[in-house]
Amino acid sequence: MQAIIRRSPAIRAWILLAPAVAWLFIFFLAPLVIVLIYSFLERGTYGGVVWQPTLENYRRVFDALYFNTFTRSVYIAVATTVICLILGFPMAYFIATRPQKIRNSLLLALMIPFWTNFLIRTYAWLTLLRTNTGLINVTLLSLGIIDEPLPLFGNDFAIILGLVYGWLPDMVLPVYAALERLDRSLLEAAQDLYAGRWQVFRRVIWPLSLPGVVAGSMLVFIPSLGAFVTPAILGGGKSLMIGNIISNQFLAAHDWPFGSALSMLMMVFMLVATLIYFRAVNREGGAGL
Amino acid sequence: MERFDVELRKVTKRFGEVTAVRDVTLQIRSGEFFSLLGPSGCGKTTTLRMIAGFEIPTSGQILIGGQVQGHLPPHKRPVNTVFQHYALFPHMTVYQNVAFGLEMQKVDKAEIAARVGQALELVHLTGMENRKPKQLSGGQQQRVALARALVNRPKVLLLDEPLGALDLKLRKNMQIELKNLQAEVGITFIYVTHDQEEALTMSDRIAVMNRGRVLQVGSPEVIYEQPENRFVADFIGETNFVTGVLQRAGLPVEIEVAGQLVQAGWLAEGVRTGETAVLSIRPEKIHLLPGSANGEAHQFGTAVSGQVERTIYLGTDTRYLIRLDAETRLVVRMQNTQVGHSHFAIGDTVWACWNPAHARVLSAEE
Ligand SMILES: Nc1ncnc2c1ncn2[C@@H]1O[C@H](COP(=O)(O)OP(=O)(O)OP(=O)(O)O)[C@@H](O)[C@H]1O
Ligand SMILES: [Mg+2]
Repeated sequence: MQAIIRRSPAIRAWILLAPAVAWLFIFFLAPLVIVLIYSFLERGTYGGVVWQPTLENYRRVFDALYFNTFTRSVYIAVATTVICLILGFPMAYFIATRPQKIRNSLLLALMIPFWTNFLIRTYAWLTLLRTNTGLINVTLLSLGIIDEPLPLFGNDFAIILGLVYGWLPDMVLPVYAALERLDRSLLEAAQDLYAGRWQVFRRVIWPLSLPGVVAGSMLVFIPSLGAFVTPAILGGGKSLMIGNIISNQFLAAHDWPFGSALSMLMMVFMLVATLIYFRAVNREGGAGL
Repeated sequence: MERFDVELRKVTKRFGEVTAVRDVTLQIRSGEFFSLLGPSGCGKTTTLRMIAGFEIPTSGQILIGGQVQGHLPPHKRPVNTVFQHYALFPHMTVYQNVAFGLEMQKVDKAEIAARVGQALELVHLTGMENRKPKQLSGGQQQRVALARALVNRPKVLLLDEPLGALDLKLRKNMQIELKNLQAEVGITFIYVTHDQEEALTMSDRIAVMNRGRVLQVGSPEVIYEQPENRFVADFIGETNFVTGVLQRAGLPVEIEVAGQLVQAGWLAEGVRTGETAVLSIRPEKIHLLPGSANGEAHQFGTAVSGQVERTIYLGTDTRYLIRLDAETRLVVRMQNTQVGHSHFAIGDTVWACWNPAHARVLSAEE
């Protein structure tokens, strides 16, 4: 037996991989399969399921109420990703072009806020944004700059703000990693070949940083689409996302099969969106170095 | 008045405390293969980068084609650069790399295709259009970098140690190719290298630099045969430096070395009679004669007597180390023109003779 293991690299590789495979199977694949199965069953009265196959859950997913929330969630996640990219790219570029010592300090500064609990940071935004008692509106009102409180809270704006704030470093870090690897002499070569600033960016910096942009966009888009803490707090109970509805199905409405169907819809959507995104980026030519 | 393609007037560049280039004045003629030669850190790259526009001089002026460049950014200067590590765009094919400069200048598609084709043909890369730089050998990448610059037909091509990353054999081949290419396209080349042999074999003129200064400018022959200071004489080829005291400043120059008076054909500015100076003479310019050949020795012009201390047989020639006195040695290189004829043995007394025109008296400093 030992001799066989020693002789066959394939068997040895499988033995080494076994813990990881077991982990993935038990904690990733199995729950996924359970969710998939539940989504085709009928709900139990107090949670759980009745083993009665049905497509009803998937029909309900397309009810205007839920489907609109879903499309709004997609819109919020896309907006969050785009804003993170617009803010994060220049930040990453700035950091990557500083001298080494300053770079590390800046990266640290970027991370420091995230040593605090996410919930606490989101509540901190609450005290800033709240319509009548929030710090921003109170200050602006007392200074006489505005007469009516600004609608900063309980809407999509507040949610996007909170999500951008939460996921910005997830955009900055991979983009930074790509830009840091970028050979400065390539930029000089482009300039030397008559490229102005914009063309240097468009033709050299951007395509070569695409792998980082792709990674960053995924890291922001996926958690944003599934977010439920941020919309629960900053949405003020009025503006919800698909994540809140799913968690409600499990925790409040005791409708596990419907929650499962919504989850499946979200996952399939993410998968498709990711694939389309990758293909588009590959056509751009950057990632395929 | 002669027109120059590139002119540097009293150019100085400081980086904080460091002065990378000091008061450099150069005039580079149209169509010339001009080399900047010097040891590492002497300011060659900085000089080139100032011409390209990547650095702006702290003081002084740079003119290209008679136009003062001032703060003009690189993309507005009529020069192109071949970078030391090529700096090819890794995400573009060979074709796209070479076409880049033309696209930026908004040349139309058909003309781009034609010119890229020509450029690739010039560097023998036809058929490689669709490869990425990573799929090419070092020498091929080098050629792409050349084609990418040449396709723009710049007034001046700047090359920063373009062969530095290649192995010796490829390097030798590319030296010849580059030289031929330059003759073919007729573009002015400004070529940075720290390899004196490369500079000697390729250049029309060489500027020897050290510590940010240009020490001498001249043709390879002038640089080799008529070095004006110790650094140039030492950096290019091999030479004897013998310290002595200047006895006569007029021609022929006379200097006392190891207690003997010898003659030289040139004296550096600022050295006065009675002062310490350095006699500089190349090993191959010295001829050895037996100690008995008194009269013959002095027919050469000038001679010193010494003992053979060491001989090294090198095939084409033999090196002798001649001891003049306790501190002073001369290296002599004699061609082995006759078979089985070893000239001298260790311990022999000999005359080391030379034509005074081949010896130079330089300042003891630097
Ligand atoms: N951006 C910079 N900041 C500070 N100092 C610099 C900078 N660029 C060059 N220097 C300094 O200027 C001097 C000349 O540098 P340069 O690169 O021109 O030398 P070089 O002759 O090209 O050397 P090498 O043969 O090693 O390439 C060096 O002492 C270098 O450290
Ligand atoms: Mg250099």
